[in-house]
Amino acid sequence: METQTNAGDPKGDLERLRSENEKLRRELEETRRDSTRYLQNVAHQLTAPLNAIKWNIEAIKDEKIPIPRKKNLLSSIYSQGTILVHLIKNFSLMSNLEADHELGQFRDMPERVSPLRLAINLAGDFEPQAAETGKKIEVGIPSLDRVFGNKALLVVKNLVAQALSNLLENAIKYSDTGTTITVTAATGTQGQTTYSGISVVNTGLPILRSEVKTLADRGFRGNAARQKIPAGTGIGLYIANRIMELHEGLIQIKPNGTETRITLFFPDSRVVDPIRSDEE
Amino acid sequence: MKILLVDDELPKLEALIATLESNGFECVAAKNMTEGVKALHQHEVSVVVTDVMMEPGPSFCHVDANECGFHFIEHIQQNWPRLPIVCLSVIADQAKIRLLAKRRVRYLRKGETPLSTAVEVITAVAEGRMVRPRY
Repeated sequence: METQTNAGDPKGDLERLRSENEKLRRELEETRRDSTRYLQNVAHQLTAPLNAIKWNIEAIKDEKIPIPRKKNLLSSIYSQGTILVHLIKNFSLMSNLEADHELGQFRDMPERVSPLRLAINLAGDFEPQAAETGKKIEVGIPSLDRVFGNKALLVVKNLVAQALSNLLENAIKYSDTGTTITVTAATGTQGQTTYSGISVVNTGLPILRSEVKTLADRGFRGNAARQKIPAGTGIGLYIANRIMELHEGLIQIKPNGTETRITLFFPDSRVVDPIRSDEE
Repeated sequence: MKILLVDDELPKLEALIATLESNGFECVAAKNMTEGVKALHQHEVSVVVTDVMMEPGPSFCHVDANECGFHFIEHIQQNWPRLPIVCLSVIADQAKIRLLAKRRVRYLRKGETPLSTAVEVITAVAEGRMVRPRY
């Protein structure tokens, strides 16, 4: 009896499968390494502010330290607390956002939010953190007035506040000492859609044009950013981008030498009449 | 007696600086390796306290920020061989901790070592009461 042989090349097939298997194994190994690095990084980001708080409390208990110094330590505790809350919010948001994207809907109902009030409130929240590193935050009220007038944004307030907070946090981190971070308004078009947005403009670390496309990817950090501040999660812009996608908006990153303008653009369908006081 | 502290997140060291100053030390702070080296040329310090991950600054821009502290330590040991160094950082890699011991640099875990202990160790090293660790 003759044995039927395979029309193909079994040895070649086996070799191909083996090499494919090897490639997948290497990819899996790389993914595991990335994941470990990412988790170590996250752990460091969470423990660093907590440890700073612990040391500050220990110093405040020291009777030899004068009161004005203790006031500085208290301000620092407040700043570290703000950083920590912001980080934790980002991590929990990230998982919620993935789920919202899959469902294509919001967890919370969009509401009318005043862009001006949002900008002023968040600038105030981040002012101590900025002052600690010798920077200022200014809100361009005339510009916001010109673009939005008395209109409101129909958005999920907490999400958009988080997106803007992430931009402000990055601006504080990467701008030069003695500079001013500006929160202002912008308009733009893409295809048939016109957009109105809130921009954060800062001067400091340059973003390479080649990095703009990947800057909002999860875990990506620009080369200059990694050199200046080695520790970082690389999720701030990723989250801001996901939030804007959920609002049918977009995020625009415009580097111009040492100046960076990042804008959260909302489609004009989300720029609505404010709620009247008799409706509230 | 002066202490040089080099860290890119100096506000996180405010508690340490306040405590050292209340104990009579003068603290000189630098936020990167370039400023650290400059400070060493300008001040006679008794000990250098340095982080590992930090910005190298303009004079050492070729240095990897993740390893910057090790380059700084090497630079100090080449140019100021008698100057004691304390590494104040959070290092997960045991090989790197062994490397510090090999370079006879004392290692304190930033924020995790109690502040009082960190101050005691830095004081003892500055006053020459604590010799460099032997490998």
